[in-house]
Order: sequence, then C-alpha cells, then structure tokens
Amino acid sequence: MRFQYLFSQTIQSIRRNPLVVASAVVAVLVTLVLVFGAIVVRWSIDQDIGRWDDNVRVIAWLGDDLTIDQVTALQADMQTWPEVEQVVYFSKAQALEEFRELFADQPALIEVVEEDPSVLPASLRIKPVEAGGYEVIQNRVAVIPGVQQVSAAGEEIDALVARSNRMRTFAVGTFIVLGAAALVLIANTIRMAVFARREEIGIMRLVGASNWFIRVPFLLEGLFEGIAGGALAALVVGLGHKPIVQMLSTVTDPNAIAVPVQFLLQQSLLVLAFGAGTGLLGSALGMWGTLRD
Amino acid sequence: MIRLQGVTKLYEGGVVAAQDVTLDIAKGEFVFLVGPSGSGKSTLIRLLLREELPTSGDLWVAGKHVNELASWKVPLLRRSVGTVFQDFKLLPSKTVYENVAFALEVIGRPRSVIRQQVPQVLRLVGLSTQADRMPRHLSGGEQQRVSIARAFVNRPLILFADEPTGNLDPGTSVGIMRLLDRINRTGTTVVMATHDHAIVDAMRRRVVELDRGAVVRDESHGGYQMVSPVPDPFEEADGE
Repeated sequence: MRFQYLFSQTIQSIRRNPLVVASAVVAVLVTLVLVFGAIVVRWSIDQDIGRWDDNVRVIAWLGDDLTIDQVTALQADMQTWPEVEQVVYFSKAQALEEFRELFADQPALIEVVEEDPSVLPASLRIKPVEAGGYEVIQNRVAVIPGVQQVSAAGEEIDALVARSNRMRTFAVGTFIVLGAAALVLIANTIRMAVFARREEIGIMRLVGASNWFIRVPFLLEGLFEGIAGGALAALVVGLGHKPIVQMLSTVTDPNAIAVPVQFLLQQSLLVLAFGAGTGLLGSALGMWGTLRD
Repeated sequence: MIRLQGVTKLYEGGVVAAQDVTLDIAKGEFVFLVGPSGSGKSTLIRLLLREELPTSGDLWVAGKHVNELASWKVPLLRRSVGTVFQDFKLLPSKTVYENVAFALEVIGRPRSVIRQQVPQVLRLVGLSTQADRMPRHLSGGEQQRVSIARAFVNRPLILFADEPTGNLDPGTSVGIMRLLDRINRTGTTVVMATHDHAIVDAMRRRVVELDRGAVVRDESHGGYQMVSPVPDPFEEADGE
C-alpha cells in the first residue's frame, strides 16, 4: 500500500507536466548519447592503435633462428642507443596472447593461428625517447642481421592517439557541461512538482508524515527521468553507432571494427547508472530549499 | 499532557509573541486560549506543534520535549496530536472520505485500518452520508467537520484548534463546539484558541487569557470577559 501510494504520486506528478518532464528526459538523453557515443568511438580508435600502446613506436620482428642469448645481447645493445628509451622483449607466447585479444571477434582467424602458433614471430618493442625519433631507430634496426622485418608507427599513430585523447576530453567535457544542464532541468521539474503539491505537502507535514515519505515520490520522479534518458541514450548509441565508427576508423574492413556486443552492454549499464545518478542528484537539488523540515 | 515553562518567543523587529509563558494542561482538559489578535494564541499552538522554536524556555507535549526533539522525530510528535484551523485546509481534489483517509495513508497505516477507522470517524462527526462529496459542495460547518475528522482519525491524545469557528455563523459554531466537547469526553485533551465570547461564556471551561504574549488570566471555569485593557481599535483586525 505504501509503495503503491508513492508510485501513484510519482505518476500523477509526471502526468501533470508532461512537457517539462520530456525536456528533462531529452536533456539526459542528449548528454548521454554524446558521452556514450564518444566512448564507443574512442574504443574503436583504440583498437586501431592496438599494439602501439605504451609509446611503443618501433617493432623489430625477430627471425626464428635467433637464440635467446643473441636476442638478449641485441636488446642490451639497443638499450644503449641514445634515442631509445626502453626495449621490451615480446615472446611468441605473448604474441599469440596479443593476437587473441586483437582478433577476439574473429574466432576463425584465431583458430588458424592456434593450429601452428609458431607462425607468430617474437619481437622487440622499442620506445623512443621522443615520439618523433622513431625513424632513426627504424633505420638502424632494419640493418641488424636476424631482424626479419621492422614496423614503425609514424604520424598516423600519433594522430590516432591524439584523436583518442580528444574523444576522451570531448566525453568528459560533454559530461560536465551538458550533465550540469540536465541536472538543472531535472531539478526544475522537481521544483514544479513540489510547487504543484505544496498544499498536500503542508497537510502531510501537519498530520506527521515522515520526511522521507514526503520526499520519495520526488526522488522517484527524478530517478524515472534519469533512467528514461539513459535507456534511450543506450538504445540510440547501440543501434546507431556503426556508421559513425566506420567513418572515423582508418580500417577499411567493416567487420574488423565491429564493436563487440559485450562492450556495448557493459557501457549501456554504465550509461543507465549515470542516468539514474543524474536523476537522483537532480531531484535532491530540486528539493533543496523547498522541502526542508 | 502539555507543559510550558518560561516560554518566550521574539520575532525579528522586536515583536513579542510569547512572554515567559508557564502553563500546565492535564490529560482530558478542555482549555480556551483567548485574547485579542496578535496576543500570541496562534504562536503558542505553532510552538507546541514545533512549527517554530521558542527563543527561550521549554515545552513538553504528550511526553515529548518539543524544543529538544530531533527533527526526524517531529513527525512522531505531530502524529500524537491533531490540529484544526480556521480555514479547514482540505484538499479540493479529494472527496470527504479521501481527505480523511489521506491523513492515515501518509503515515503508512495499512489499508485495513483505514477502511475501518475512516467510516467510524465520519460517523462521529455526522458526515457518513457525505463521504463521496467534494469539499466545495459542503457548507463551512461541514467542511470544518471533515477537518476535525481528519485531525481525530488517528486517535490523537491532544487536539489543537486554532479559531475553528472563526469562519462559521453562530448556529453552525454551536454544532462544532458540541463535536469538540464530545471528542473531549473521550479523554482527548482539547486546546482551542478563539475570539468567540458566546462559546467561551457558554461552555464554562478553563480559560487562559493572553495579552501581548503573556498569560494575564488562568481561570478554571472562566468566561470571556477581559482583564486586559481594551485593545487599541486600530490594532484590532477583526471586530468581535
């Protein structure tokens, strides 16, 4: 009976001002679509960056005929070069592990490699002192016997890293600015709801309704607005992210950049939680000063 | 049941709404608070309900130290008292039944209790046949009965009435007073602030007279006649 009463109060309140409630929901929706969208786009960029993480700019793929001692000597030698910050040895086992991660969404490819894991070469991963210094290293490594092939990440990767960082800044900035706007809009709907029910609230106080009993319908209203906005945002991004990700990605094969469903679901839950949090915070803000004891 | 000890309430601008008021009201008493407008009758009721805090002094209501009460316990205080106002304060969008049931709903009483107690109290105030009507279709006296039913439905120990007959004609007022008297005879303490000479003189109950916030008379079977000086006609808002 209690819960039924509280819910009916919330529903009545939403019915009284559907436009105002809609504006709050849309504010949450827009905020979270932009934030969620940026997170997904950033994820796809990070996929492209892949093994170039941690400032690795040059990879020396090693021939299978090198012994461990030779590799260790080579690593020690490179480490003495002035333009090298660090050299990390990456074994065949690690290479397989990395391959599994990078192509997690393409099990067929993994199966092929797992039949003969030795096709993946071991490598030395070199971090230059300065990001731009990779060319010198690349040229020096290329002539070392035993090194079969050299890959270097040039400006392309730097651009991707910069883009990834911009996405993060965009997500955080959007979340702060538009999030604040959404918060204020929710607070406003709650304020109007409190005003519409001020007579009732006065009588509730008079007959001894507890403060929580008075507040809960308003908290539920804010919660509803936040969750509705969050759920819609998750839907919009879940269904509509593909073309944007493909447009921004450097990889041409659309299958290779399909955002995994698990990642989307996980992030959707986060978006819902943020929506709910915004709703509760907004209603608390709306009641502030109007519903004190 | 009610005790005030040296209660003083000063408002900003130096208005004295209560001045060193000390008062004891026993269980089951019927007490009139009389005095001109602005003498502090309503302030005393607001202090006893913890709508306001005194500037100094202490109040106890139904065993609760009102001015020391933690704010989360204030609702519990208000559940043990009932309050009736001059302007009824009914919800216009709810029927008579719903207005009374509302008081129980919002303190979380189970539906079975509500179904039993609301018709009972409507019978007590004589409105059984009007349960489904809206307040705007009722006379002033009937509306005040609804508000008394709402105040009494939770069986409070104390009933506060602030000018309950202030908006009613004399004939209707008599009916309301009969009702308050009946409620008093169930053992409920009744404290009523009023301007109504006729009622106070007719009922011959305890009378506490206030003047500028101070108690100037406390008589056990009093009438309305004033010991305080005749108020300045320009200060007197409502002609009696």
